[in-house]
Amino acid sequence: MKRWMTLLAVFGVMLGISPWAGAAPSPVQITLQPDAHNSAQPKMGDWLKFHSTVTNTGAASISGLVVWVSLVEVTSGKEQPVDLEDWSAHKAEVRTTLAPGAQFTVDWPLRLIQAGDYRVVISAAERTAGTLSASPFADFHVKRIPTIESARILPVAVGVPLLLAGFAGWRLRRRDRL
Amino acid sequence: MSAIALMTKKEGGELLGSARGLVWLIAISAVLSVLAVLLVSNTELSLLDNAQVVYMVMGTITALGGLLAIVHGSDAFAGEKERGTLIPLLLTPVTRAQIVMGKMGGQAAAWIAMYAVSLPYLWAVGSSGQNLAQAIAYLALFGTPVVLGFGFFAIGLSARVGNVRSALLTSLITLLLLASPLLMGPGLRQSAVGKMFDAVNPFSAALNTYDSVVIDSQPFGMQVGRFAVTLVWLALTLWFARRSAQSMEI
Repeated sequence: MKRWMTLLAVFGVMLGISPWAGAAPSPVQITLQPDAHNSAQPKMGDWLKFHSTVTNTGAASISGLVVWVSLVEVTSGKEQPVDLEDWSAHKAEVRTTLAPGAQFTVDWPLRLIQAGDYRVVISAAERTAGTLSASPFADFHVKRIPTIESARILPVAVGVPLLLAGFAGWRLRRRDRL
Repeated sequence: MSAIALMTKKEGGELLGSARGLVWLIAISAVLSVLAVLLVSNTELSLLDNAQVVYMVMGTITALGGLLAIVHGSDAFAGEKERGTLIPLLLTPVTRAQIVMGKMGGQAAAWIAMYAVSLPYLWAVGSSGQNLAQAIAYLALFGTPVVLGFGFFAIGLSARVGNVRSALLTSLITLLLLASPLLMGPGLRQSAVGKMFDAVNPFSAALNTYDSVVIDSQPFGMQVGRFAVTLVWLALTLWFARRSAQSMEI
């Protein structure tokens, strides 16, 4: 019996009969555009802004729509999803309903915290639909800025104690002379 | 010149005017130098890691300021008593409250000197990061009441206990307890007891403000409650110091 069930399941998959096979393509369409004022060569600490337009291209209303921003680091050897905690305070937008043909625009500001190559994408999920909608990727590179510079720290680290010691020595010698 | 100003000049002069008195300032700059040099080795810091470094240096400066105030404050009355100079001091036409304020004046001068020495270090580690100006301003605004509060607390203990070693040890233990958030991770302070301790601890108030302003770029409006905690600490310790000096037995 078990063998028959397995065979049936395999045939089912081959024929495209699966819980997801019948799911209609998502009626949610998302565009993603970098802001015209974004720096061409952004560096750590800069702000980038992205605009996305979410449209209901279907014939029925969509309810419980959540749209969110995701960031992925694609620097060679460091590929990983990025925790947006420090990058953005605006991580998601929720719409209770979206009528057929209706659309809305969302701005996504990002503060560039770490150097590297990144891809940003906007995704959307409905309360009931089984598919995920996503925008095209927008890629950007963040230039490193020196955060801790030895050229700046070493003169201070060596100079301040020496200066104070020199001052103390001068006071001591002056007192001895008097 | 008023009695308080005269005492401030004398106390401050002992700490800053003499060559031997300056040794403590050299030691403090050496501590900050070692901390800064240790940070140089890490070149892969992110923007927020850099702010974290500034926050760390600010916390260290506040703790060192507290240490300075405690060592100096513990000697205020008990040291005079042990050296046999307390009675002549009390025979002068100066009230005990004025002595407390005069002693504190010297400490305040030393704290100002220490703050000035720490500025190049803050600049060195933080000038290419974020919120350096805020870091400098908030260190003065929040560090000062916390540090002077420790000074008043030690002066009060010095008057009450009458023994430098005992006053110093008790004050140091208090500093260690209140400055413990500097050593503990934020995770350890998330329990109900930790949150309660954070809410009333002036050192936590200063540290959390440094974190909030330098790392999270939050405005002063969000720091008002914490600022009130540091001011209450200053007022309470001032009251304690004055009260202890008034009721001091010779």
